[in-house]
Amino acid sequence: MATLQVEHLNKTFPAIERRSKSTTAIDDLSFEIGGHVFVSVVGPSGCGKSTLLNIVSGIEEPSSGKVRVSEGEREARLGYVFQEPRLLPWRTVMQNMLYVIEGGTDDPGERATTYLRMVGLQDAGDQFPSQLSGGMQQRVGIARAFSVEPDLLLMDEPFSHLDAITARGLREQLQEIWAQTKKTVLFVTHDILEAVQLSDRILMLAPGGRLYADVPIDLPRPRRASDTEVAMAQAELLRRFETMQEETDAARAADVSS
Amino acid sequence: MNRAVAAPSASEGPLAGLSRFFRSDGFARLASYLFLLVLWQLVAVYEDRFPGPAEVFGFLLIEVTGGSHGGVVRGQFLEPFAATLPRFALGVAISMALGVVTGVVIGGSKLAEALLKDTLLVLVALPAIIWAFLTQMWLGLGDDAVVITTFLSAFPFVAVNVIQGIQAIPRDLRRMSGTYHVPLYRRLRHLQIPAVTGYLFAGFRFAVIIGWNAVLLGEWFSASDGVGWRSRYWYDANRYKGFVGWVILFIAFIVLLDRLVLVRLQRRAFRWRDAQLSATERQAEEIEVGITGA
Repeated sequence: MATLQVEHLNKTFPAIERRSKSTTAIDDLSFEIGGHVFVSVVGPSGCGKSTLLNIVSGIEEPSSGKVRVSEGEREARLGYVFQEPRLLPWRTVMQNMLYVIEGGTDDPGERATTYLRMVGLQDAGDQFPSQLSGGMQQRVGIARAFSVEPDLLLMDEPFSHLDAITARGLREQLQEIWAQTKKTVLFVTHDILEAVQLSDRILMLAPGGRLYADVPIDLPRPRRASDTEVAMAQAELLRRFETMQEETDAARAADVSS
Repeated sequence: MNRAVAAPSASEGPLAGLSRFFRSDGFARLASYLFLLVLWQLVAVYEDRFPGPAEVFGFLLIEVTGGSHGGVVRGQFLEPFAATLPRFALGVAISMALGVVTGVVIGGSKLAEALLKDTLLVLVALPAIIWAFLTQMWLGLGDDAVVITTFLSAFPFVAVNVIQGIQAIPRDLRRMSGTYHVPLYRRLRHLQIPAVTGYLFAGFRFAVIIGWNAVLLGEWFSASDGVGWRSRYWYDANRYKGFVGWVILFIAFIVLLDRLVLVRLQRRAFRWRDAQLSATERQAEEIEVGITGA
């Protein structure tokens, strides 16, 4: 099982023009996750959620601090589900799956089929992405991420571009696959209900990329968006976000007046 | 919607079929050829020195069948093409090879782009006839001058298209490949090459069309056989029907090559993009079959 350690992580983007100020995306962020756990990072837009995923996946470099993804001795394998499906449009679904599956795998075709079956698309292997609906394309993206059998699975608002009904079906499917595969998941979203329904733990980020609270969600699974407990946990979390917003506003006002 | 399409077929008379023929694309194309033929005839009637269609096609018949043009001059058809096609193929092949290499270098490096892109644009703007003159001055008569004229004229178009293709590889997909640590060979084969294929194909089509023009100009000045030489032969002999006849063969060749080969290749290369369309078409067909079957 993989461990993700984030220690005193900072990320600032340099000023674009000479007179503008540099922006802080992540401010001294530390947390650790490990094992078969589903952790969501929730916060308003501009709080550094996507930047965090980019740093964990190695697309971006941190300004300071450390990010370590370990799986025993070897380097951990990552899976990534993006906001958009990001499939190769000129390759079939099956070819898209084989594109990411490691070279040494015994039977890559069998592996691809297994994960396509998990998302209910075992018969779509010969189709091109343009022949599938947006929801189906995103399911291929999810199957692809699981097919590399990642130690850590990163998901960046994977359902935000889908309609509500499709998104709802996919959330339930994701819970099932997660329960079967026992992966460590770091999930980024701005949708509190989604976070409550899926997560064991929610990291609340404040504007400026500060960790505001680390909230455990201890509810029985599988959970549905319509469950009373889920709704109550959502309301509770929403209240905490309101408080956080008020504090941020107050701090900002004090900053301006001083 | 499909009912409206299916209904007339039940009560279709001969008149309906005829009216559909007059509105078809095939008829429109036929009409445009007929119009050009009439226009040509009219020009020939009012301008004595310009040969009419009958005269030119009479000439072409002798030329193609290898008959006598009077005196010792016999018709030639396959010989000029046999001389031209290897020069053309070689010129286009070299343009493709060097065009791809140049395109990849300039498309992949900011420094190379700053150094070479303006030069390349100058080359794009230079007409083939300049190269035909220059190569004749440098190399004299012979195959080399013709092949190099073809290559120099066609190559910049290939390079420019490849540069555009390389720069258009989607950043999202490059990042996706990076996060999954996809090996370079797979990226080349499944991401970079397919992303560039459309542009490469456009470049190839340009190379063929521009190359065909250039090979004939090259032969006009530097060869003693081939399609360009044969056109000049009749031009120099003051036989305008011969000159116009070869211009027609020259156009017919490139049109046929484009329709029969290039368009087909293009359709194959873009199967993934047309897949969506054919899926809807299939569906429409199924609905139609369902209605007429019921």
